[in-house]
Amino acid sequence: MTGQMIFFIIFALIAITGAVLIIALKRISHRVVSMAFSFMAVAGLYFLLGAEFIGIIQIMVYVGAITILFVFGMMMTDHRNISFGPDPRKWQQALSFVGVATLLGLMLYGISTLDMHESTQPFVGSVEAIGLELYGHYFIAFLGSAFLLTSALIGAIVIARKEAD
Amino acid sequence: MVPVTFFLALAAILFCIGLYGVLTRRHLVIVLVCIELMLNSVNINLVAFSAIGPFANITGQVFTLFVITVAAAEAAVGLAILIALYRNRNSIDVIKHDLLRW
Repeated sequence: MTGQMIFFIIFALIAITGAVLIIALKRISHRVVSMAFSFMAVAGLYFLLGAEFIGIIQIMVYVGAITILFVFGMMMTDHRNISFGPDPRKWQQALSFVGVATLLGLMLYGISTLDMHESTQPFVGSVEAIGLELYGHYFIAFLGSAFLLTSALIGAIVIARKEAD
Repeated sequence: MVPVTFFLALAAILFCIGLYGVLTRRHLVIVLVCIELMLNSVNINLVAFSAIGPFANITGQVFTLFVITVAAAEAAVGLAILIALYRNRNSIDVIKHDLLRW
């Protein structure tokens, strides 16, 4: 067992535990914190794969920005009420559990029977290569994402503000 | 080197946990958190194929950047809708917001 395998197992266990705790915990604030842990472990996986730039972006955007956004969203709404009373959708819960478990089983079966020749030497992409690709082949998509971010900013402000009298 | 199938299996597990959360949780913030988890598991796939896939190149990391951008925009607009919904209907229970249900 190599060192990379050990780190992969550690990060994978943290990520899966955080994801399960998002579902299982009671208080909303604890759930958001476990989401941050899960995203941090995913960033560690990116570092393990040699994608340092994506790992840094993951920590900045997901662990930094989006978690704070969710904390604000949680504080501005009803976060003390942790239970909505009995769930009238018992059948739907059982049905969705069976459906999701079936989907997971099918996907894991497909992955385990996958026959793929892998490159033994990992490809390490530099930030320069990402920049050249982003401003070369994907320039239109880059401009599109800029428009998307601007419209999301304006839309979020317009939707969330109080109605003007 | 860790085989790429391990990363695919981890991403599948995270995706299914997120999907189960979206389908069953009742708190709207948690539904949005689970959607972020699903997008994140897709990013693991992209980066794993970009690093150790059969045709390893930089394109997977570029697409991961686009997915992160879309996820950030989605979280911002989703939380704005949530705040407006809470202000108008005074509830963040998913079951209570069935106005558009057929």
